[in-house]
Amino acid sequence: MTFQYGLFMFFAALVVYGAVCVITLRNPVHAVLHLVLTFFASAGLWMLLEAEFLAIILVLVYVGAVMVLFLFVVMMLDINVSETREGFVSYVPVGFLIGLVLLLQIRIVVGSEFFGLDQYPLPVPRPADYSNTAELGYLIYTVYVYPFEIAAVILLVAIIAAISLTMRRRPESRKQMPDKQVKVKADERLKLIKMDAVVSVDKKDQGDDV
Amino acid sequence: MNMSDFALIVPEIFVLTMASVILVIDAFLHSDRREIFYLLALTTLFGAIILTWVNHFDGRALGFNGTFVVDTMADVLKFVIYLVTAAIFVYSRQYLKARDLFKSEFYILGLFAVLGMMILISAHSMLTVYLGLELMSLSLYSMVAFNRNNVLSSEAAMKYFVLGGFASGVLLYGMSLVYGVSGTLDLAGVSEYLAAQQSFSAPILLGMVFIIVALAFKLGAVPFHMWVPDIYHGSSSVVTAFISTSAKLAVFGFSMRLLIEGMGIMQDSWRDILIILSVLSLLIGNIVAIAQTNIKRMLAYSTISHVGFILLGFIAANPEGYSAAMFYTVTYAITGAAAFGIVILLSREGFEADNIDDYKGLNYRNSWYAFLMLLVMFSMAGVPPMVGFYAKLLVLKAVIGQGMYWLAIVAVLLSVVGAFYYLRVIKVMYFDGAEDRNKIIVGSGVHAVLSSNALLALLLGLFPGTLISLCLTAIS
Amino acid sequence: MVALSDYLILGAILFCLSIAGIFLNRKNIIVLLMSLELLLLSANMNFIAFSHFLGDITGQIFVFFILTVAAAEAAIGLAILVVLFRNKRTINVEQIDTMRG
Repeated sequence: MTFQYGLFMFFAALVVYGAVCVITLRNPVHAVLHLVLTFFASAGLWMLLEAEFLAIILVLVYVGAVMVLFLFVVMMLDINVSETREGFVSYVPVGFLIGLVLLLQIRIVVGSEFFGLDQYPLPVPRPADYSNTAELGYLIYTVYVYPFEIAAVILLVAIIAAISLTMRRRPESRKQMPDKQVKVKADERLKLIKMDAVVSVDKKDQGDDV
Repeated sequence: MNMSDFALIVPEIFVLTMASVILVIDAFLHSDRREIFYLLALTTLFGAIILTWVNHFDGRALGFNGTFVVDTMADVLKFVIYLVTAAIFVYSRQYLKARDLFKSEFYILGLFAVLGMMILISAHSMLTVYLGLELMSLSLYSMVAFNRNNVLSSEAAMKYFVLGGFASGVLLYGMSLVYGVSGTLDLAGVSEYLAAQQSFSAPILLGMVFIIVALAFKLGAVPFHMWVPDIYHGSSSVVTAFISTSAKLAVFGFSMRLLIEGMGIMQDSWRDILIILSVLSLLIGNIVAIAQTNIKRMLAYSTISHVGFILLGFIAANPEGYSAAMFYTVTYAITGAAAFGIVILLSREGFEADNIDDYKGLNYRNSWYAFLMLLVMFSMAGVPPMVGFYAKLLVLKAVIGQGMYWLAIVAVLLSVVGAFYYLRVIKVMYFDGAEDRNKIIVGSGVHAVLSSNALLALLLGLFPGTLISLCLTAIS
Repeated sequence: MVALSDYLILGAILFCLSIAGIFLNRKNIIVLLMSLELLLLSANMNFIAFSHFLGDITGQIFVFFILTVAAAEAAIGLAILVVLFRNKRTINVEQIDTMRG
């Protein structure tokens, strides 16, 4: 067993452990944290596959932004955990059975019969001065410039949708209006009213009752 | 990549630019002048119509290193999408105003969804297929949720999102297997690889199955249809109309690109799967629709049965069948827009005309709209001389041409069953007394667009030749 | 040595776990959304493994775009979740069942 194989097994075990925890844990916050673990371990595997840029993007952008967004939402929505867990136990056998059957079927197809070392030998390792980032960047800005532009539009749509769906103008919130504040005149600020210092009798009676 | 590549995508660039312009203007304009966004959105669609028309040429051109393709099929589908979307935008105005939803974001998201559809239809690489699909779907999810104080809408949006996300994930897994075996993302490359094989290996078959599952999800074919009735019911009628017409055209383009252009050589492998999907869709769609009391749910099941017919065209697996499927999709989109147009029209402030009982005695309230609904229902049921009849006829002819008589017989029998629930709507409109005596108020613009939309279903039925030959040139 | 099949089997395990997760957590939308993230991760794992063993970088390009789209998707999904929560005060799918038929 080589060092690489040991690393692969370590990260793969972490990925599977994290994924199992994500789908079974009671507490959604714990589930998000295990998803983070899964992504970290996947980033390790991607490093082994010489996809350095994507591994780092996965940690920086995915864990750093998307998962944090998940955490924010989970914590913001005060979720009743016991309610969402009703009937979970009764689903467990069915859920895992479906997963297992599917896995056995896919396993036959993606096993070493079709994708072993004989069919796909190990590629020659890249030289030390090879830059994965430079190659990806070159391709994205030349060959794949059209998909790149579409991706930009998708992000724009996400911004518009998220804002238009969740932004609320609260009626109770107060804000400053500098232009009106500057133009205000003294007689608008203060008004003097002349009135008699008499209190009517029946009003006073009502006040006593209350 | 060079400048001529950009000339190919002029309509896409125009739609994107206009959507961004509307977005920027929105930031500076007072909210009581929203009419301008509506007009700008319509201008955008008409500009796109003109640009696609001017840009059209016979033949086929690839751009951006094979990630983009423009051909007659793409142009025809885009053209119909612009028209149908413009009609729905016209119908939407009064409806949205009555619900305080008349906002620029609705039209901006609608335009972005149209852009996604254009990209999807013109995709020539699995990468652009995926990105176009996501751009369309993400815009549609947020349009469904747009009526954000409505419980039904937000529920529908969540269901749509989860099931749509699931379908995208399955699609990606299938694409990854196809990429791994063929070593390319380019659809022509995949097709070349497949053509060189004597027999198809298990991994590529598994990839194909996953891709078909995703397609069935997006089309709404049984057994992947469970989202369709709920989303149709829960969304506001305008968005339902958009999803069931424009998006259906785009998903048809998606199927053509991925299944026929990419994996058409594997037709013997996917034909049996499609037969199962098609028969089940015809069965469930036509039979469950009878039990519906809500017209939007009824139209949802009717869409499912129409998807069964569209799949029949794919099953024939020859240019005749594909063009029949295209003709079916185009005419369905037109009649569907008219049907939803009437549903939208009869709704008013605080009232959705979505129960079949709401149509009782429509003839006495307004005989013209009852007549239009009659045309649309006849077309959907496949009664001659409406266009729906020719659509069904062409598909069945293609299937019979392949010697699959039993399939044609099943389809005919089930559509006879299906005719029952369309006729029920007509019966309710013409022979029941009106319960709702509110006057139907319609602007003249809406009246003109809706009338011409519904009459188009009759006109295309009387003179189907042009559209049929157009679909044939588009496919070959 | 680590063969391509090892990575693909890991991808398949992730895929099946996420499908199982969707079945198991039909009531809990936030975990449903996380299962969708796992689904995308399994496809990404496949793409990168293939890309490495084929010596073809397009697989990595695809993953780059999947990550971008997944971020947008997560944002919209969570926005819809927030809207739904404001309306219903629950993320229990069982109670999200007003429509029937």
